[in-house]
Formats: sequence, C-alpha cells, structure tokens
Amino acid sequence: MELKIENLSKRFQDVAAVDNISCLLTTGVYGLLGVNGAGKTTLMRMLCTLLKPTEGRILWDGQDIFKLDGAYRRILGYLPQEFGYYPDFTVQDYLNYIASIKGLRPAVARKRTVLLLQQVGLAGAENKKMRKLSGGMKRRVGIAQAMLNDPKILILDEPTAGLDPNERIRFRNLISELALDRLVLLSTHIVSDIEYIAHEILLMKDGKICIFGTTKELTARMPEQVWRVSVPQNKVAAYTKQYKVSNIKTLHGEAELRILSSEKPAENAVLEEAVLEDVFLYYAREQ
Amino acid sequence: MREARTLTVLLYCKLTDEEKGSGNRMNEKTVHEKVRNKKIKDRYRGKEQVYYEVKKVFCKTRSRMAILLLMLLMGVTFCFAMNVEYINEEGEAETGFSAVARLRAAQKEWSGDLNEEKIRQVIAENRRINETPEGRTERIKESNIAYGWKQGIAEIRSLLNCAYADGFRHYDYYLADSLSEAEAGAFYRNRIKLLREWLAGEAKDQYSEAEKMYLIRQYESLEIPLYYDYRKGWTQLFTYAPTVVMITMLFLGYLVAGIFSNEFTWKTDAVFFAAYHGRDRAVAAKVWAGVWIVTGIYWLSMLFYSAAVLGYLGVDGWNCPVQTEFGDWKCFYHLTVWQKYLLIVIGGYIGCMFMAGLCMLVSAKTKSAVVAVMVPFVLIFLPSFLGNLESEAVNQILGLLPDRLLQVGNALGYFNLYTLGGRVIGAVPILLVLYGILAVAVLPIVYRCFVRS
Repeated sequence: MELKIENLSKRFQDVAAVDNISCLLTTGVYGLLGVNGAGKTTLMRMLCTLLKPTEGRILWDGQDIFKLDGAYRRILGYLPQEFGYYPDFTVQDYLNYIASIKGLRPAVARKRTVLLLQQVGLAGAENKKMRKLSGGMKRRVGIAQAMLNDPKILILDEPTAGLDPNERIRFRNLISELALDRLVLLSTHIVSDIEYIAHEILLMKDGKICIFGTTKELTARMPEQVWRVSVPQNKVAAYTKQYKVSNIKTLHGEAELRILSSEKPAENAVLEEAVLEDVFLYYAREQ
Repeated sequence: MREARTLTVLLYCKLTDEEKGSGNRMNEKTVHEKVRNKKIKDRYRGKEQVYYEVKKVFCKTRSRMAILLLMLLMGVTFCFAMNVEYINEEGEAETGFSAVARLRAAQKEWSGDLNEEKIRQVIAENRRINETPEGRTERIKESNIAYGWKQGIAEIRSLLNCAYADGFRHYDYYLADSLSEAEAGAFYRNRIKLLREWLAGEAKDQYSEAEKMYLIRQYESLEIPLYYDYRKGWTQLFTYAPTVVMITMLFLGYLVAGIFSNEFTWKTDAVFFAAYHGRDRAVAAKVWAGVWIVTGIYWLSMLFYSAAVLGYLGVDGWNCPVQTEFGDWKCFYHLTVWQKYLLIVIGGYIGCMFMAGLCMLVSAKTKSAVVAVMVPFVLIFLPSFLGNLESEAVNQILGLLPDRLLQVGNALGYFNLYTLGGRVIGAVPILLVLYGILAVAVLPIVYRCFVRS
C-alpha cells in the first residue's frame, strides 16, 4: 500500500502552485506543513483527483490514480479545507447521501453512520440540521463523512482550522485513533497539531517540499541552533532584524527571545533544544 | 452465445476483487448471479441518489415558497378560466355553475354537423332575433336580452363572420347580421376562396408556390361538414394554457437552476467529486433529479389545471375539429379539440424539458444559479421583443424558437411553413421533433459538462 508522487507540478498560468514534487507515502500519519499559499491544498486536491497535474504522476500501488478513477476514489476519504455541507439536510441525511455517492450499501452505511457518529461524539445529533451545528460539530461531521467508506487513504486539509483549543485536542486524538492501518495526510499551518500525531512531516514552501522526515530528523537536520537570550526591551527590534526570532516573551522591562542562529547571538545566550516550530520558522523565513 | 459470454466476462471485470471472491473459481452461473445482484443494487443506489438530489432542491425554504407561489398563481389562473358569463332573459349577466349549465344547454341545442341546412338555420335564427324589438333597439338592457337569445348560436355566428369576411384577415362582428339563407351553401367554399385570394394578393411574396399549394391542399382536404358541439371548457382551457405552461416553466427554471451550481455555492463540490460515484452515477442522479422535477411539477400543474377547468366547464366538444372555434377557423392543421389538447400538453412538456435542460447546462457550466435561472426568462421573453421586427426571415426563425412549444395552441394558428427536402411542413411538427431530440440530447451534455468541472 503506497502512494507515490513523481515529479508532480501544477501551474496556474505562470504561477507554479506545486513545483516538481516527488515522494513516497505508505501507512501512517503524514503532516503537510507550510505557510498559507505554500501549495498544500493544491497538492491535496491533486491527490484527491480534483485537479489534474500539469506534469508528473501520482501512483497508487504502481497505477496512475487518474486512470484508476473510481477504483481509487473508492478507497479515498477527503475532508477539504472549506468543508461545505447541505444546510437543510440533517446529519443523518447528509451522511446517508455521502454514503450513497461513495457506493456503500444502505445496510453498511447505516452501521458505519452509527459507529462514526459515536466516534466523533455526535451520537444524538443525527436529526439536527447541518446549518444549526457549531463549527466544531460541522468539522466532526466532516471527518465522519471522510471515514464513511473506511478509506485506505485519508486526506485532511486544515481539519482544525477555526476550532477552539479543546476541540483541536479532541480532533487530534480522533485522527490518531483513526490512523491505524491507513495512510493519513494531514495538512495544517498549526505546527502543534501535527507535532503530536504525525509520524513524518513534509514541509512545503513555494510549491516544493523543502524537507521531509520525522520531527526528530527535521530538528536534527536544521542547519542553525536555537538560543534563548534575555535582552533589554529597547534592543528587541535590533535582534528581530538581525536574527530569526521564533518567540518573544516580555518580562519586567526585559524580553526573552528564542533565536535561530548558527553562532551565539549574545554572551548570555543559552543553547536550547530545537522543536518543530523552530524548523518551520527556519524554512519559512529562509530566502 | 459467444457474444453473451463476452458480455458476461466484461461485466465480471467490473466487479471488485471482493465481489469476485478471493481466489475462488466461479462458474458462469455464479458470475451471472453476481452481475445480476450488482445491477439490482446499483439501480437501488441510483434511485437513492436521485431521491437525495430531489430532496436537496425541496428541503430549501425558498423552493417550498416557490411551490406555494406556483399553486397560488395556478389558482388565480383557474379563477380567470372559470369566469364564464350567461346573459339571462332579463338581460343580466349570470356567473357560476348555473350560468355554465345554462350556456351549455343553449349551445347543445345547435350541436351536430355544420352542414348547409344548419348554417341556413343559424342565419335564419340570427335574423329572427335581429328583427325582434329587442334586436332592433339600441337600449342596452333590451340589446342584452337579444344577445342572450343568440348565445346558443354565438360560436357558429362567429364562424360565419370569418367565412363570409371581405378578406382572409378581416373580421366584422356584425357581418353575420347581413347574411341571407341563400348564402349558406358558400360557407366552406368561402374558406378556401379567401385563402386563395390572400395567397394571390397580400401574401403573394410571402410563400413559395409549393407552400401555397400545400396550404390550399390542406384547406381543401378538411373533412366537411365540421361537427359542432358546446366546447366552452376546451376554449377556456386553451386560452389560459400558455400562461399556465409559462408560469410553470419559470418556476421549474428556478428549481433546477441550483441542482449543479449549488455544489459550488455550498462548497460541497470537493467531497462530491472525490467520492466513488462523484464523476459518474452521482452526476447522472443530478440529471435525473432535474428530469423528475420537471416531469412531476409540469404534469401535476397541467393535470390540476385541466381537471379543474374541464371539471367545472365540461369536456363536451372533445371530438370537434379545431376549426369549429372561430380562433382556429383558419388553422391548416387537421386536428380535433382533444388532439389539440394533447399537442399543447406534450409540446409544453417538451418545451419545459428543453428549457430546464438548458438551464441545468448553464448551471453546470457557469456554476451560478443566478445566471441559470435567467435562461427561461430569456427564452420566453426575447422572442416577444424580436417579434416587433417586421422581417420575414426573423419570423421564420421565431417560428422555430422553443417558446412556441409553451404555446403550441397559438402556434397552430400561425402560417409558418418550412420546406425540408422538397416537402412543405408546418412549424408545429418540426418544433415537436426538433426540441424532442434536443431535450434528450442536452442531458448527456449537462452530464459531461459537470463531470469535467
């Protein structure tokens, strides 16, 4: 079970949204990290056969997904960034409809719906109209619809966008539960979301995957070190201009800065262990 | 036998590995059984998807409001259609069911073949009434009483005004009053004579020789004498049928306009197209939903309207030729009233289906319900504006526009002729065949257009 991306590019007129990407994905949770406009959604839409690549191929177990057509979509679950719904459908109607277009038999659909509504914490909300659900509830319906066909490939585009911290934690745990024996590709620009659950991380910038690996590998491979420096408040601007500062914490007239630098930025600088957020910042700011 | 086996193998290939059974050898019977079961399941799922597509349309509050408004307008139209008056012995207008019954009784007395004898009797009766003091006076009340006496022969009297007119396109309401019984024999001859004169004069350059011959042949081949009967129900039904069909079409346009574009408006397109059937059966279900909505609403509207009007005014006169109605006296199509009704409802259905198909196509192509909902408006109202251009070429084109199908009853009265492969043919059969084909042909185009979005 492998999803192979070969020299994949997608250009919109002169702009390359995805630029010559190649990688191999197997089972597990993959985190797709990148700033807004990095090309994450375009890549995901191509993986869901919603967009045709300008160049390159996507192969599922050696076969082009666009040639597999329905057979590929049968094993696919997708939660788009902007999850749309039929406002006047009840949750039950919505899931039944999605089950029918996913080719599920009604008996199977009924069982899956009951199970998934319990799993996403929406048991009892079956008869609520979709438009009356809260943002978090809608997202949970979104994940339920993506899981209806028990997909081998689950693609989640910004699944935690707009959720409160409580909902986000809940969502992360849910994705971890669902990730067994399948390929989950999770896109976000919220680093903490994937830091906890992704086995491997693909960091995207300007349509390219600039680095790929586990959190440990990514932090280890970062060319710069992370420093914690306490500086007077009036020097913060100068430091921010000179270094990549990943965090500023103000403390009684002083500021504690978290700086990415290959050399010690100040005498009192203390070496810190790099985290994924630092890696993200490093590549995001790198020209 | 060999072909059947090839088909089975092909269908077998469409089964998934799971359905084929893992590694088990299957005999042909099992394959046939599985293929059959799969077909049954697929059909069920297809119907389920159509059900949800229809539900998407009707669960919207605005759609329900539209249906209520349509019913209200239908009710208003019905009120207009049943507004029939009878002038009683006191010269006062009566309305309601008793008025219908009295008018029906009065006209039924004159039912039968419109032969020379019957025409003579009508001319005589008309003169007899005119010679009474009530017929001669100009006082309104007495005039009304005289008019009341003429209600039984009113329809035939109108035919006399057409048949004995000074010209093909002339109509004089009082012409029948100047006729004598001796002229009764010229009733049908005059119809042909007036046409010939018109074709040789006013319409000389309007038609080719073949077309002129065709019209004359059609007139000459009309089976005479015409059978006349009370037919107020049909007359009223035909008068308001174009309004009913057009109103229904405008509402249908509103309902089907969102079937495709709403997937983009609601941002549900990504989940839809990423689903297993998102690029085949689910799209077909949308097309079928459109077809069912048009079919259901159109036929319900027409059946309600027809049943209400005919139930109130009666179905008498269904077997009369259309030429017994003065508005259709010049009609060159040989049809009975019942056949005209069928043409109106079938033509209307084809027209609605074509326009709704076009509406869905625009919806799928532009991803905008607002643009799509304008399609029926443009198709219905644009020809009215173009009709002001007095050009023969424009008229020929207008005669074949789909709005004519929504008013086939009126189109029967237009002298639009076309020559196809050396054969002259009226616009109505062309409209029915042309748009029948186009209404069906547009559906796969809608499907392909949306599948590729």
